[in-house]
Amino acid sequence: MKPGDLLRLAVSRLGTGKLRTGLTMLGVIIGVASVVALVSVGQGATSGINSRLEGLGTNLLSITPGATTTGATRGAFGSATTLTTEDATALTTLPDVAGVAPELTSSHLIAVGSQNETTSVIGTTPAYPLVFAYEMWRGSFLTQASVDHSLRVAVLGNTTASNLGLGASSIGSTVYISGLPFQVVGIMQPKGGVGFQNPDDEVLIPVTTARDLFVGGDSVRTIGVSVASQADMNTVTAEITSVLDQRHGIGAGGTPDFTVTSQTQLLSTVGSISTLLTVLLAGIASISLIVGGIGIMNIMLVSVRERTREIGIRKAIGARGRDVMLQFLFEALLLSVSGGFIGILVGVAASAVIAVLAGWAFTFNPVTVAVSVIFSLIVGVIFGVWPASQAARLDPVVALRYE
Amino acid sequence: MSEAIITLERVSRVYDTGKVLVPALEDVDLTIERGEFVAIVGPSGSGKSTMMNILGCLDRPTAGRYVLDGTPVEELDDNGLAAVRSRSIGFVFQSYNLLPRTSAIENVAAPLAYQGVGRKERLARAQEALERLGLGERLHHQPTELSGGQQQRVGIARAIVTEPALLLADEPTGNLDSHAGAEVIDLFRQLHATGRTIVLITHDVDVAVAADRQIHIRDGRIAA
Ligand SMILES: Nc1ncnc2c1ncn2[C@@H]1O[C@H](COP(=O)(O)OP(=O)(O)OP(=O)(O)O)[C@@H](O)[C@H]1O
Ligand SMILES: [Mg+2]
Repeated sequence: MKPGDLLRLAVSRLGTGKLRTGLTMLGVIIGVASVVALVSVGQGATSGINSRLEGLGTNLLSITPGATTTGATRGAFGSATTLTTEDATALTTLPDVAGVAPELTSSHLIAVGSQNETTSVIGTTPAYPLVFAYEMWRGSFLTQASVDHSLRVAVLGNTTASNLGLGASSIGSTVYISGLPFQVVGIMQPKGGVGFQNPDDEVLIPVTTARDLFVGGDSVRTIGVSVASQADMNTVTAEITSVLDQRHGIGAGGTPDFTVTSQTQLLSTVGSISTLLTVLLAGIASISLIVGGIGIMNIMLVSVRERTREIGIRKAIGARGRDVMLQFLFEALLLSVSGGFIGILVGVAASAVIAVLAGWAFTFNPVTVAVSVIFSLIVGVIFGVWPASQAARLDPVVALRYE
Repeated sequence: MSEAIITLERVSRVYDTGKVLVPALEDVDLTIERGEFVAIVGPSGSGKSTMMNILGCLDRPTAGRYVLDGTPVEELDDNGLAAVRSRSIGFVFQSYNLLPRTSAIENVAAPLAYQGVGRKERLARAQEALERLGLGERLHHQPTELSGGQQQRVGIARAIVTEPALLLADEPTGNLDSHAGAEVIDLFRQLHATGRTIVLITHDVDVAVAADRQIHIRDGRIAA
């Protein structure tokens, strides 16, 4: 039989049991749609995180306490308390450094009137907006004088401000941090972006004030360093290392008790983690595709049994085993491939909706689509071949007598 | 007119049920000439259907030699048998055996598809065959929309559309009333008149008289 005839047979057969056809296809539709949607979500989230990290400025170096050990662990990453505000001050004198911003972080209840919320309170220096790429919306940032005199002044992240019901007219008003009054001197522009932490939900106060009132010590979570020129990243990293080694009394060949990470390193780490996540998601989704394939096999086996007599008739009027085999294989393929196409449409639509809701750019990935089509073809062949060969092997005499 | 289309030499068919061996045909010798109209007659269980399956290349003899239209059949593999069925044999069944949910014309055209005939030619030849059998008005009816007699005529149209060397009918009137049955037998006589070789299997002696020659079969053997 010619391919065109086989296709016509398959189409008319699937058209006679629309509900059954639809339900069988649904398995493949769900499988393909979830592969397409999850891969797209994974990629969208990755590029969202990347653009946020890039928003921090590519000239950023982060210094964190604790060594990056490759052998034994020296306490959890970032848990050592070896960096101080003095270290940060020492780094400001380096050439090629545009700004140094330590972060002395603790979490507190912020209250204004009846509004309150708990958020991070970060003690830092006037270089913070430069280093972490923030801009002011109203008022001004912390001044050197406020740091020098440990003033109780605060700059609010945009989200924090609106959560507390503070607007443009609130500059100069008072907020209470853990019950202590602070004067609001500025509110920052929202930076937005997606990530695990909202960059606009934070309160900034002078590093000295934070040290005296809240942290009760001098251990800094991070020191952000903005390098004047991208070209000097490596030089500055080396300079920072040597200054801090010297300050911490670490000799040549010793293990430093801090880590300097550049933004590019961070980007590539995040990139590899999110690639892994995307692959995992796609892997889970393809399990549902396999379940869809089993649905096809099930319905084809039932079909072969129901149509035993038809198979006998076809053999009597001249069909070879191969013709019968191809007839059933075409049906399985038509089910899986049309299910695959509908699944792609559903998956693309779903990922577009998710992209809009999550606020990242919708990316259409032709590779995923091509892979899905090929995958559903393969599913059709794998799960269609066995029922089809059962049909082809039927003895015509037995099949013709089948009731 | 003395050219043999069917030659059976000492043909046996023994069914192996696993527990017992059932000899359904034993040492059958038979020759049928081209253009003959033969009836194979015998009581129930005598081996008529077994004979038809072997003559129709749906089944192989367990012993003996069968030559159909010059081809020694027992040497063929499954594909070879399918090719012989496609090319040389037309079946008419007691229960019509039309393809379900398939219109009359598509049913009649189906054997041609397995010969690789193009769709246009298939439909034209199917229509012609149906018109010859008086079903020109029923081309697009489903089997469920046809009477038994009409379904059997569609079955006959399907059997002759490939112009086979041999027309095999197993109890073709078995499910029909006497009027429709007589019509079918009449059709066979007309087809015979156009030179077709017909083997008609029946237990009904009144039907068998329509044939030129009657072969009686009893307990798997040809009776004299
Ligand atoms: N598949 C089989 N396995 C075992 N025995 C079988 C099988 N098919 C037929 N037989 C036996 O072979 C013998 C001949 O059967 P067959 O069907 O050829 O008879 P028949 O002449 O066509 O009878 P009827 O007129 O009732 O159709 C019977 O005894 C039957 O029981
Ligand atoms: Mg019988």
